[in-house]
Amino acid sequence: MLSGCQSASSKIIKIGCAGPLTGDQAQLGMDTCQGVELAVAEANQKQSIPGYVIELLKLDDQHNPAQAVSVAKKFTTDRKVLAVIGHFNSSCTQPAAAVYNEVGLVQITPASTNPAISKQGFKTFFRVAGTDDVQGPKGAQFAAHMLGIKSVFIIDDKTTYGKGLADEFQKEALHLGIHVLGHEGLTQGDKDFSPLLTRIKPLKPELIYFGGIYTEGALLLRQAQALGLHAQFMGGDGIASTVLIELAGTEASEGVFATMVGGDTQKMPGAEGFITAYEAQYGRVGQWSAYGYDSANVALAAMAQAKKKDRASVLSAMRAIPGFAGITGAIVFDEKGDNKNQFIGIFKVVDGQLTYVGPAE
Amino acid sequence: MGSWDVFIQQLLNGLTIGMIYALIALGYTIVYGVLQLINFAHGEIFMAGAYIGLAAAAAWILVSGTALTGGIALAGVLLFAMLGAAALGSLTERFAYRPLRQAPRLAPLITAIGVSFVLQNVVMLLCGPVDKRYPEILAARQYSFGLVSMTHYQIIILIVSVTLMLGLHLFIKKTRTGKAMRAMADDTQAASLMGIPVDRTVNLAFVMGSAMAGAGGVLFGLYYHTVNFHDGYLAGLKAFTAAVLGGIGNIPGAMLGGLLLGVAEGLGAGYLSSEWKNVFAFLVLIAVLLFRPQGILGTRVVKKV
Repeated sequence: MLSGCQSASSKIIKIGCAGPLTGDQAQLGMDTCQGVELAVAEANQKQSIPGYVIELLKLDDQHNPAQAVSVAKKFTTDRKVLAVIGHFNSSCTQPAAAVYNEVGLVQITPASTNPAISKQGFKTFFRVAGTDDVQGPKGAQFAAHMLGIKSVFIIDDKTTYGKGLADEFQKEALHLGIHVLGHEGLTQGDKDFSPLLTRIKPLKPELIYFGGIYTEGALLLRQAQALGLHAQFMGGDGIASTVLIELAGTEASEGVFATMVGGDTQKMPGAEGFITAYEAQYGRVGQWSAYGYDSANVALAAMAQAKKKDRASVLSAMRAIPGFAGITGAIVFDEKGDNKNQFIGIFKVVDGQLTYVGPAE
Repeated sequence: MGSWDVFIQQLLNGLTIGMIYALIALGYTIVYGVLQLINFAHGEIFMAGAYIGLAAAAAWILVSGTALTGGIALAGVLLFAMLGAAALGSLTERFAYRPLRQAPRLAPLITAIGVSFVLQNVVMLLCGPVDKRYPEILAARQYSFGLVSMTHYQIIILIVSVTLMLGLHLFIKKTRTGKAMRAMADDTQAASLMGIPVDRTVNLAFVMGSAMAGAGGVLFGLYYHTVNFHDGYLAGLKAFTAAVLGGIGNIPGAMLGGLLLGVAEGLGAGYLSSEWKNVFAFLVLIAVLLFRPQGILGTRVVKKV
């Protein structure tokens, strides 16, 4: 609609967004890409890159690593794509990063938290989200110090993200003297976890820690309740979502704790404009919308500063950005492309609402 | 919680999901019986059944303005889903498989895979790509026997599946139409020469199999509380395995196969490793087929030349 108002001489450059846009995790991808979409619309309205119209190209990786690589190849073949926001899942971001690196295309992940991704040493990789080697230990510290947890059973979903997070949690839990009763994996897309939960029940853990996403998290909660397994439940950013409550029901999800690689996105200082605009367009702000929005704005800033509008110039402009004041906080990249400014927040389900408790100490 | 309680609980977990596998497996086996076709779209009929039940519940709330609760409501939703799934099964048979009746056997098989993609995507477009929450048609209730817990949904799954399977079994064994189906399974050509209406009988096989899958879909949705448009894939694959395990084409075999598969999965995941849960299901299949290629209750068919 907006492009119709621009002069005919303005040229098109593109920004990509990749994540799970269909399937059980579609909400996560939609949250992110809608944030990106809003940033792009605002940039076009303000004409922040004079003489150019920015187009958004959204592609669905179905949280499938193989699909993510083919999506990445699709982005790289379109010469007009100067930056990609994505992917969402660590298991997708990791293999896709190699594809972007090969052609020198800037990639900013708004959400993938596995620390191994940035250790691949790709110049094109940037990350706005925090990392699990901070999130996992902070979660364990919160469980030990604030909840007084003495024993835990750890479950993960065998993905790059879920297993990575659960392993980091376990390391710190052992270090803090929490008794780890066991650590088991489950398969994403499976629905029945009652055999595993039945095995856990007689062990009487005080806490079940889950490294994974809300779909399996909700099923675990429901099935634990049905089996009369009463343990506290905690997870990472993958379950810090209102969808968890919706799918598990208010009764089963009450009292669940989740760490999040950021604070309360509903009450970010200086983000009132974003929240109003987002709500007008898409409804309630999702847990990842602001990260998508921030990631896109960093990319757009680099694209505006780039002398030539090509991938090499955008990459060197990205590398040169000293810091960026995003709505989720200051974004400062280290030499690996990770965000130096890490903040872990704690959320809890209270009366069927995902409530921000405070920073994890 | 003693080890016996754990064992009984694991058995119960396995039996519950096994009942649902059995309901879906019936559809594979009936259709294979009359057509020697593996209807790979059957898993999607099951998924669609879950969504049709969901739509029925939503429509009820819209019309009556009250939440849908109670046994009669549940029966209504089940019936609606069974009818809807049956209609869908009948339509796919009429428009996707019947025109290919005389084609080489590979053609309808590939078509079935195509139908499966179409159904998945239609449901995704109509109902959205995210998980849908299933309504609580019955108030949550839990029963404890010693240390073994059971929800009322598990009891309902047991009752409904056993009733439906028994009904189907009697229908096939006792009615004229059931006899026609069995005749077609024995020899299609001879059956048609004897005046058995082939098209109608084949369509009825689809209708009945799909109705079972539709009921399975609602039970699945109630038990797991969520449905997604790609839920039909894995459930369909497991049920197909169950049908082969029991002896494809054999109705009691499909029931037995479903239960066996559910229990094998439950015990494997419960006692050995939950990471390998899906592997146990297929290991059981391989083990059985190595020693009995025709399945547990299947009969060895000598190929007529």
